[in-house]
Amino acid sequence: MKLFSETKHYLSVYRKFISTSVSEATSFRTSFILMIFMDIFFFLSAILTVDFIYDHVATIGSWKRPQLMFFISFMLTVDHLHMLLLSHNFWRFSDDLKSGNLDFTLLRPLSSIFIVFFRYFKPSSIPNSFISTGTLIYFGMQNGFGPTQWILLPFLVILAFILLALLEFIISCAMFWLVEGLGINFLRMQMQQLSRWPDFIYGYFTKKLLTFGVPVLLIGSGPVHFLLDINNWPYLLGMIVSCIGCFYFLIFLWNRGLNHYDSASS
Amino acid sequence: MIITKDLTKKFVSYKKEEGMKGAFNSFFKREAVEKFAVDHFDLNIEQGEIIGLLGPNGAGKTTLMKMLTGIIVPSSGTVEIAGHSPWKREKDFRKKIALVMGQKSQLWWDIPSIDSFKLLQKYYEIPDARYNEKINMMGELLNVKDLFHVHVRKLSLGERMKLELMASLLHDPQVLFLDEPTIGLDLVAQENIRQFLKDYHAQHNTTIVLTSHYMADVQALCPHLVLISGGKKSYDGSLEKFENILGHKKSVYFTFNQCIDKTDDFWKTQDVLFSENCDEVELKLDDHEIREVSAAILNKFPVVDFHTEKMPIEKVMKKIMENPEILSGV
Repeated sequence: MKLFSETKHYLSVYRKFISTSVSEATSFRTSFILMIFMDIFFFLSAILTVDFIYDHVATIGSWKRPQLMFFISFMLTVDHLHMLLLSHNFWRFSDDLKSGNLDFTLLRPLSSIFIVFFRYFKPSSIPNSFISTGTLIYFGMQNGFGPTQWILLPFLVILAFILLALLEFIISCAMFWLVEGLGINFLRMQMQQLSRWPDFIYGYFTKKLLTFGVPVLLIGSGPVHFLLDINNWPYLLGMIVSCIGCFYFLIFLWNRGLNHYDSASS
Repeated sequence: MIITKDLTKKFVSYKKEEGMKGAFNSFFKREAVEKFAVDHFDLNIEQGEIIGLLGPNGAGKTTLMKMLTGIIVPSSGTVEIAGHSPWKREKDFRKKIALVMGQKSQLWWDIPSIDSFKLLQKYYEIPDARYNEKINMMGELLNVKDLFHVHVRKLSLGERMKLELMASLLHDPQVLFLDEPTIGLDLVAQENIRQFLKDYHAQHNTTIVLTSHYMADVQALCPHLVLISGGKKSYDGSLEKFENILGHKKSVYFTFNQCIDKTDDFWKTQDVLFSENCDEVELKLDDHEIREVSAAILNKFPVVDFHTEKMPIEKVMKKIMENPEILSGV
């Protein structure tokens, strides 16, 4: 009952986050329209670059065009969710830490992690939802997915997004100690880059490190291997275990960070 | 309602040398500087009290406020507010308090304030009927209803501060922390905010902790004063007692239309200070003397103006900041 009322509370706040974000974003109309085009351009350029490479080679690693294009679509869909729901917040967090504006967040009767990382929604990314979902379905069909894969696909996209988010939240915790967040934000983006390529391009030790140490390869390669061959279920298990481990590590680190926070002077 | 014991906060900062060479040196070796922003601070505030937290810049007032609200964690000591330890940041505790900072905004800059209020309604789970009632009541009291749909960035400082106050009070906090709420405001706006706080306190009996450099705020609102200096408490008592720190006598000022004779026998029996041009005097008088002495001066000298000191607290604060030793005997 308590869990139900808490969830209801958080959802009602999140609805307001969305409506206030839309209100804010549409205050600057030209910028809003520009952002829509920029997002679509980024998405199409990523897809078309890989498509172009396959005009000249038959396989990359062990994957042919439909498999790698599905992987790219999967990662772009996860990336799209990241852009839509989180991306703005990492930059604002760094500013709020430096300016002391985090103070008000800490006074609110909700989880500060929730407010810090979900406060700003990016409405200009909404149009991209149709393109990312469309390409994901298209390349899923090209790979001859059966009912099981189609049922699993949305859950795996969400799980991959959760893992990416948790890893980025963990990295962002370092801002409590470093205060200047620019370097941390670039580190976070480099980590995203690592996950955007299939795991077979990495050497043995790098692959092990990026799968079991900092599990970025489980964000994209894990679920795609599983979807392409259901017998690869250990990837799914790895994702679930990583999410649980990262969640508890995040809570520990966040609380340490809050204790270290000294707030900019007034 | 608020009890602190030995509350201490130590900050570590780093010295940075000037120029390119200094930047290079500091990059590899930095000298750490430890500073006690708040040092073994004891405080006891009853429910419904309004206390003024006074002190010069850098005395530790804001740090103390931030520890009381749970924003920062003390280095040592204890705090209890309405039965909670602030830095545990329990949901119930956060619903019981509110903070207004004159130099920081909790309203969202690029949207109208009504959108921020709606978000706060969701944060604090305020029922619609109660929310609407509070919005209407405070909007009318502060005369800001017309501003609800204006982007916050388009508002004047005074208008914004009224809306900040509204935002803080929507959830009916039991304890309200006000950190320089009238800073930078014109006299009319200051007076409006003071009057609103007075009325609000009379209606709701909210415990209020106020810091301000404007003694008019303190004099109008705070019967209980706490003075903090160098992180330590140097005074904790009534406003009346504070005003009498320099003595019980009142200052009475007379202005004359010409230079008067300083050697006149009348002045020999008085505690008097002459201006450079001898056309103004300041007399220190006991309450019972004021009427008699003033009448004598009005009869004897060409008086064009006279008044008693309007804010003795301002004078006391000035003297204490110049010479903190004054408080050692209090």
